[in-house]
Amino acid sequence: MPKIQNIDPAKVRKPSQITFGKIPVNQYNKNIEQEKELFTTDDFIRIYRDMVIIREFEVMLNKIKTTNEYFGIKYNHPGPAHLSIGQEASAVGMAYNLNISDYIFGSHRSHGEILAKGLSAIHQLDENGLMNIMKNFFGGSTLKVVENGHQGNIKELGVKFLLYGTLAEIFARENGFNKGLGGSMHAFFTPFGVYPNNAIVGGSGDISVGAALYKKVNRKSGIIVCNIGDASMGCGPVWEGISFASMDQFRTLWQGEFKGGLPILFNFMNNQYGMGGQTCGETMGYDILARIGAGVNPEMMHAERVDGYNPLAVIDAFKRKKQILEDRKGPALLDTLTYRISGHSPSDSSSYRSKEEIEAWEKADCIVSYGNHLVNFGIATRDQLDAIVAGTIAEMKQTLTLTIDEKTSPLLNLVKDPEAISDMMFSNQSVDRMEEGICEVLTPMEENPRVKQIKTKERFYLGKDGKAVSKLKQYQLRDGIFEAIIDRFYKDPTLVAYGEENRDWGGAFAVYKGLTEALPYNRLFNSPISEGAIVGTAVGYGMCGGRALVEIMYCDFLGRCGDEVFNQLPKWQSMSGNVIKMPVVVRVSVGSKYGAQHSQDWSALVAHIPGLKVVFPATPYDAKGLMNSALQGTDPVIFFESQRIYDIGEMFHEGGVPEGYYEIPIGEPDVKREGNDLTILTIGSTLYTAIKAADLLKEKYNLSAEIIDARSLSPFNYEPVIASVKKTGKILLTSDASTRGSFLKEMAQTITELAFDYLDAPPVVVGSRNWIVPAYEMENSFFPQPDWLLDAIHERIIPLKGHTVTSNITPNEQIRRNKYGV
Amino acid sequence: MANPVIMPRQGQSVESCIISNWNKKEGDEIKKGDILFSYETDKAAFECEAESEGILLKRFYAEGDEVPVLNIVAVIGIAGEPVDSFGGEPIGEKKEEIGEKKEQNGEEARSIIEIPAYEVALTPTSAGEIKISPRARKKAQEFGINIENIGGTGPEGRIIEQDILRAAELRSPSTPLAKGIAGEAGKFIPDMGTGVGNRVTSYDLLSQTPVAGEETEIRKLSNMRKIIAAKMHESLQNSAQLTHHTSADARKLLELRRKAKETYEKSGGENITINDLVCYAVIRALQKHPMANCHFLGDSLRIFKKVHLGLAVDTERGLMVPVVRNADNLSIRDLAAQLKSVANSCKKGNVNPELLASEAATFSVSNLGAYGVELFTPVINLPQVAILGVNTIINRPTDLGNGVFGFVPFIGLSLTYDHRALDGAPASAFLREIRLEIENLDVTI
Repeated sequence: MPKIQNIDPAKVRKPSQITFGKIPVNQYNKNIEQEKELFTTDDFIRIYRDMVIIREFEVMLNKIKTTNEYFGIKYNHPGPAHLSIGQEASAVGMAYNLNISDYIFGSHRSHGEILAKGLSAIHQLDENGLMNIMKNFFGGSTLKVVENGHQGNIKELGVKFLLYGTLAEIFARENGFNKGLGGSMHAFFTPFGVYPNNAIVGGSGDISVGAALYKKVNRKSGIIVCNIGDASMGCGPVWEGISFASMDQFRTLWQGEFKGGLPILFNFMNNQYGMGGQTCGETMGYDILARIGAGVNPEMMHAERVDGYNPLAVIDAFKRKKQILEDRKGPALLDTLTYRISGHSPSDSSSYRSKEEIEAWEKADCIVSYGNHLVNFGIATRDQLDAIVAGTIAEMKQTLTLTIDEKTSPLLNLVKDPEAISDMMFSNQSVDRMEEGICEVLTPMEENPRVKQIKTKERFYLGKDGKAVSKLKQYQLRDGIFEAIIDRFYKDPTLVAYGEENRDWGGAFAVYKGLTEALPYNRLFNSPISEGAIVGTAVGYGMCGGRALVEIMYCDFLGRCGDEVFNQLPKWQSMSGNVIKMPVVVRVSVGSKYGAQHSQDWSALVAHIPGLKVVFPATPYDAKGLMNSALQGTDPVIFFESQRIYDIGEMFHEGGVPEGYYEIPIGEPDVKREGNDLTILTIGSTLYTAIKAADLLKEKYNLSAEIIDARSLSPFNYEPVIASVKKTGKILLTSDASTRGSFLKEMAQTITELAFDYLDAPPVVVGSRNWIVPAYEMENSFFPQPDWLLDAIHERIIPLKGHTVTSNITPNEQIRRNKYGV
Repeated sequence: MANPVIMPRQGQSVESCIISNWNKKEGDEIKKGDILFSYETDKAAFECEAESEGILLKRFYAEGDEVPVLNIVAVIGIAGEPVDSFGGEPIGEKKEEIGEKKEQNGEEARSIIEIPAYEVALTPTSAGEIKISPRARKKAQEFGINIENIGGTGPEGRIIEQDILRAAELRSPSTPLAKGIAGEAGKFIPDMGTGVGNRVTSYDLLSQTPVAGEETEIRKLSNMRKIIAAKMHESLQNSAQLTHHTSADARKLLELRRKAKETYEKSGGENITINDLVCYAVIRALQKHPMANCHFLGDSLRIFKKVHLGLAVDTERGLMVPVVRNADNLSIRDLAAQLKSVANSCKKGNVNPELLASEAATFSVSNLGAYGVELFTPVINLPQVAILGVNTIINRPTDLGNGVFGFVPFIGLSLTYDHRALDGAPASAFLREIRLEIENLDVTI
């Protein structure tokens, strides 16, 4: 809590009451006559057309899924198609007043939203602008297909482009909006302001908040609409996103043009079912979803329920909410009530709802009733409307024919180009700043107190007299991380850092000490204790084009942001077909001394996930160089740090840690000590355990060990390790992670494959026990000790003359431990 | 620093050269380019020029010596510099090995770890059971070392790299050509060769498989085969065997056999064979010649009072020699029954292993008559001192008396005896005794 806001006991202990205001429910009551002041005839008809296009698009998909045929055109689509038939008015109403600079995020059921936002964008763009977007997208390959033989204007071409790009994406074609790598549940098209739709329920709940943060911090116009379902109200990340978006500091602590709420609207497309669970009445307890807003902040999130079966009501509501956000009074919440007539998916037999219910909603069908209004109020004739439907069907047939043609719309050719997806896993760019601009800082860097303090420190662990420098005078690992970070804050105006206790406190482990003095709130701030939102918002921030550095205070808290780290951060670059970048660095601190839930090394969990870069430096030189690389890149990096060695000095790099900027390539291990008889490969702070063991080996057994610090887990260049194994024939691997399934096992297996003929013994892994981490006083029985390394060498690799083992690592014991899972 | 002068290698196939003439003496001052010595191969003559300056400190070989290529011939350096490190024993091979390592690993030779005494067990194991690291196996192939002959010092007795390095070091050096051949053809390099200073040469390797070609099959030996191989080899290596041959008039034998067959066919009982009859006769002879019924124990003889007769039996798995204990107690009928019984259990594979030990028998009989063998030299089952080989029966012209010659069936007898235990005369007397017993067999069928 910042010192400028004191908490006065007299005030907060005073008795009072919370009173809630009123939350409007379906209050729209204009008739078409009144709306004629706002809409032209063309507008009214366009709303109808947009709904019909969405409907027919999904009817076509439904027929393909259930009968493999649409008007005689045969096709089998094995992938998913979560349809929103019945929800068209909500989608069109949502998109109607959004500009291209307004971004929407969605869910697995967002075909309607993509098309609605796309149609709205096409309508708003001038012809040149539209043509440029289409021409520049994937070199115009998508456009070429629909351009061929097109008669009509550019806007009509735009509609064809939108339908074809979306359908091709759903059918996994290379001409799809994301090269077919996203598919039905993830399709998006950023040039029209359509941002990723998310197959994880509520996945957009925090990502979209990060997009809003990006808009705010980088002074971008536009609002963010987070389209998620009613059932996602049960998901933690949604609540975390809402908490993050409604932080007081936006209005109390952020200054100047940055003061004010985040421009985000949580729009719950409330179709009243979460797959087969009825939210109101069965799985939730809010009665009316909009009620949730009342509990979030005094503004009650400007929450409101709107009738999502009436497009004009939805348009009206969005117009008002958008104004609120533009007035910096966000976040806002809309409960857009609608109904999905189609099943959750084609395999849905609707066993959870009655026929009568479906029929009643079919009777109220949003397109039919809106069409009737248009006819009744003399805006359109029945024939006009029928012509729109007929034209749309013709369009859909053409789009389908083009999309399923293997020649016109091939899949990504993984036979001809087997590494096509490999090439999209990372963007691998080197970028000083994500955007040009002035870096907003509070003082020149050289005046920063921490920078000044570091200047007085010894950058090598030995002083000029050859004696070890005291901890206080020593340039420590935390200083290395700090130097790289502050450097980047003065280089990249988009860089933001946040997490728990990042401001004022200086980070729980004093890495950020001095940053508060350098940066305004809009670049460095404290987040709620919401690891999911911390990482999720960074994902949203990164995909919009900003660079984010966030922190998970303890590695053990990774579980709290599991979906964000495992499903969101790693995947969007490749799922977008390389349209977006993900310049996000997640600092993860591995604890010690704090027992079972604060001391675990879970590096293997993230290293397992394709699409993440994972590093774990153990020296100040490496920490600075790797942080520089991480912040220079455009890929997501999980940056592990160990709390055991934040204060360690540089013992390996001659001349100490350079003052200037330098990078250490991610993925390159480093030989920390050369030797001939045995290789020891370490991850993280066990480097120092290995050094101790190596000293003992030399002293007692005249064996010279070569010590290699992995530094990175993924990517990882095995060549130096294999070269070492070819020399020594023996390798022991060690880290603080629990042995079972640790990343060392992956490495040991790979080394075995690559160097089998050179091995004089199996690669032996010495990790921690497969236990809870005990109290600090008992840690020596849990974490690898130098003696354990010697024992393993003696028992498994090469008997050491006269060595007495202290740990039990016999084959029988290994079998027993595995048998009991300990 | 002193520099060695190395015998150059003039071509891939040259293994050694002969120094034909020394141009410099020890103590001479040497300039670069001076001719140190001339040498020749079987094809041409060469001169060796000095590549460094200094004093010729030491010549390791004299004129006329054959020097393996790459060996150190001499040392040039500063007067008074020690040459011990180069010397005496040529170290050319070692030097080259280090060079090779450098090439492969770019590193200095590693320290060899002292092997704990209790683990230096030279325990040849059968190939399937050998525990060896992939690296050691590769090194063994490189060096042509037979891993069956070395013990492992790694965990659980695994052969590891250092064991191969040590074995390579202990072995006689081999010429570069021999090494090359071994590496390419995957041959073992023997511990000792026929070259200079026991060097292993290409000849030693090429002679391993005189018939080149790929139309061969490597078949692993069964344990049984291995045992037989070891026993037979041991017998021939460790005793002084020789064989006397004679033959006995087999008319009595054949008559008895005919009667026995008739009886057997008529009324059953034991089908007494010629072999049974011969064995019966041998037992009788042994009773009279106890010096043939004994074990040779190196510094003593164990003479048996009883006859425990071993009989060589051919089985699917190989040769077995089961014993009939106290055979001298048995009637011809019982002897026949017991011989048949042990032979059958050998064939079935359920023979009591105690009956197969060569120590269990005091004398053995091996009968190859059925195969038509006329003469052979059976191998003694040590520690027994003799074995009788029984051959086929042949009709031979014989003086029947009164100037009448006729054809008489004779059975061939080959007695192999251990000259350490028996001399020629008593052995001959014993063989004659057997002959007489056969010719005068006194049994009732």
